[in-house]
Amino acid sequence: MEEIGKVSQWVFHLGDTRLVVNSETLLMTWVVMALVLAFGWIATRGRGMVPGPWQNLAELLVQWFKELVRDALGEAYEKRYFPLICALFIFLLLCNWVGVIPGLSEPTKDINTTLGLGIMGFFIAHGTAIKVKGVKQYLKEYFRPIFFMMPLNVVGELAKVISISFRLFGNIMGGSIIIIVVSHLVYGLVLPPFLYAFFGLFVGTVQAFVFMMLTLVYISVQIR
Amino acid sequence: MELTDWVKVAAFVGAGLSMGFGAIGSGMGEGYAANKACEGMGRQPAVADELLRTMLVGQAVAESTGIYSLVVALLLLFRDFSVVNFMEIPAFLAAGLCMGLGAIVPGVGEGFVAGSACESIARNPETSGVIIRTMLVGQAVAESTGIYALVVSLLLIFVV
Repeated sequence: MEEIGKVSQWVFHLGDTRLVVNSETLLMTWVVMALVLAFGWIATRGRGMVPGPWQNLAELLVQWFKELVRDALGEAYEKRYFPLICALFIFLLLCNWVGVIPGLSEPTKDINTTLGLGIMGFFIAHGTAIKVKGVKQYLKEYFRPIFFMMPLNVVGELAKVISISFRLFGNIMGGSIIIIVVSHLVYGLVLPPFLYAFFGLFVGTVQAFVFMMLTLVYISVQIR
Repeated sequence: MELTDWVKVAAFVGAGLSMGFGAIGSGMGEGYAANKACEGMGRQPAVADELLRTMLVGQAVAESTGIYSLVVALLLLFRDFSVVNFMEIPAFLAAGLCMGLGAIVPGVGEGFVAGSACESIARNPETSGVIIRTMLVGQAVAESTGIYALVVSLLLIFVV
């Protein structure tokens, strides 16, 4: 029960500045990155016309995401944004699933991970908008429909970042807190495996999909 | 009573308010989704599996504000009360009320989306892929205000 709200940290001192690193999140992110790389290596090893099971899975994912990105952004942008969207989904999926393994915890349980990814999506979407429409047209959009709507539009854009990152964080952290409390109440008997299956595998998949999909939608809103 | 006892009273009342109000919206929304799924199955028994899957996914997402309420209630119940200050009394009450009331309408709205998705799949089963995708994105946006309530509640619990 003591682990609720506790964060393991490494603190460094560089002169007067104090650097704090959330050690658990950092290590778990490395574990997830290693898993993603391992998946890529296994799937592409010994490629052939008759695909093995791993190659088949990878081809399925790639094809599915290509269609998704083409539907949302159109042919012209498919090639540029498909790797980002595919990588984002696989990374988040493994992040949310890794907590099921005993001893490991989800990096997405930390607000820094999700907020970082949310801010990344924000900058990519707005960078695309400036590139496609030009600075003048991009700034003009904020003054629609009337000029005094500008502050509301700016707040609306910033609120997107908050809601997308806190949605993932809230669901994953909420699930882990409920698992800790219930395991404590029933002394780890019977219930926790079902909770892991629901919060880890099911909610994790849905939330990874929602995060990926919303990033894609935000980009497509800026392009159109 | 001492200050610690008053803080405990505030935390317990806050936990009750949070989960009590928070259960309203999700329950209504999920019931509506199940209602529409049953209707659709009566009309199109051939797509019963697809409808069941859509209903369960939609309900699970509609339940997330209820889960946030549960999280806030658990955080208030299992708090460490050894160090307390006076401002925690209003903060805990406000945290419970904020999450409880904030969870109602997003839950209902997300349930409506799930119900309409089931209805549309029963009417036009070929478009189920697009419908499920739109349902998930729409529910995610409808949930935003519930997430803001969660953010404010967490700030009230941990920062004050």
